[in-house]
Amino acid sequence: MAGGSAIKTIFVQGPVPGFRLLLVIVISAVVIVADARFDRLTPVRSVIGTGLAPIHWLGNAPSELEHWVAGLFTTREDLQAENEDLRARLLILERRALKYAALASENNELRRLMNSSEVLDDRVIVGEIVGVSPDPFSHEVIINKGSRDGVTVGQAILDANGLLGQVQQTSSFTSRVLLVSDSSHAVPVEVVRNGLRAILLGNGDINALELVHVPDTADIREGDLLVSSGLGGRFPKGYPVAEVASITKESGEPFVNIKATPKARLNQSRLVLVVFPPEGERDEDGNAPGQSSATVNVEPGDEVER
Amino acid sequence: MLSVISYPVFAISVILSLVLSISLFPVGWFEFRPEWLGLMVFYWTFRAPAQFGILFAWCLGLLLDVLEATPLGVNALGMALIAFLVLTIHQRLRMYPIPQQCVMVFLLIGINQMLVHFIKQMLGGEDAGFSYLLPALSSAIVWPFVCVLLDNLNRKLG
Repeated sequence: MAGGSAIKTIFVQGPVPGFRLLLVIVISAVVIVADARFDRLTPVRSVIGTGLAPIHWLGNAPSELEHWVAGLFTTREDLQAENEDLRARLLILERRALKYAALASENNELRRLMNSSEVLDDRVIVGEIVGVSPDPFSHEVIINKGSRDGVTVGQAILDANGLLGQVQQTSSFTSRVLLVSDSSHAVPVEVVRNGLRAILLGNGDINALELVHVPDTADIREGDLLVSSGLGGRFPKGYPVAEVASITKESGEPFVNIKATPKARLNQSRLVLVVFPPEGERDEDGNAPGQSSATVNVEPGDEVER
Repeated sequence: MLSVISYPVFAISVILSLVLSISLFPVGWFEFRPEWLGLMVFYWTFRAPAQFGILFAWCLGLLLDVLEATPLGVNALGMALIAFLVLTIHQRLRMYPIPQQCVMVFLLIGINQMLVHFIKQMLGGEDAGFSYLLPALSSAIVWPFVCVLLDNLNRKLG
């Protein structure tokens, strides 16, 4: 090294750095297998992800700036009009909430009569989408709520119109959400009209989902609303997911081809709701009913196909 | 090989490339997003092969893996491969005129993309034709600008 500093050598790293490449290939192979096949490196990923939170923040900065600039140039009249609009909507929603409170208490009463202790109200927190996946072939977004806010893997994410997806990974300040339209995503749903159960698959198209394994004779029509059935144990029951858009029957095929449009605005929403499963409330009620409801929930889940 | 390199320029260029590789890009143009981090690895191992090498490129690739949510190590291996190839050819590369350098950028980033795509396929990714090679093309197109810009910054601040 002493000679190297005096005279600039041509071969700065030895003839060919083949040994390092070999080393790196071996390490990479081990790391890839450990991560992809055995899921052993989730903590490592979470730690690095926490360190990279400023990158996400910077990546979102241009659109934040745009919002801020747009806010500067909003006129007073526009704001007043919007304010009045919102007040009117608030009034309508409050009236509906009053009615809802009565219905909810009645519903709880009925459920108690039927000896089932399902809690209806879920706790939610509001998050904001701060990034989208750079990979054009996967439908994922990044939200600004992470494990520090209590978000865990598997939680359902909603927007104002319906189910958006589920949490796939968390770091301290952000988490990664897999959208319902990703080709590796499936939601157990039921038709609101008659309770027909089916599985809704994403197929990589942001505007179309696929309802699979519905027999030819099933009672399903265009325009039917599909809500999450809660049978997988992952999504809470009763949130709207999609609307049936088209049904095509092909003779000779055992199942019909059904396309559905997602209710959530998958590529437009900015604010999202993170739903917390009602575990805490169940514990407050006491353990016995909580346990019994859990077992009640699991049993029908095992027999999805009747 | 530059006589001097500036470490602040290095740090800022790497952070900027990470931000660019996740920040919002026009919808419908996603496939054309240049492989910014690959360009940075290419540039820094090309200009300062004594300081930056395979292990450094591997660590940067690991960061990209976390940002892109690919299995850890996939992009890391791809970046390490770029660094290795640059190290083996960087003496010839310095003699090339800019258009020929662009061709080399296209080849090396293309090889990186192929490797990443191949591993993703083995792990069960979906097939998407040859569009995964588009970032290599766009990287080759932006290479002259990136190279000149970073060279100037290095000369001024280094």
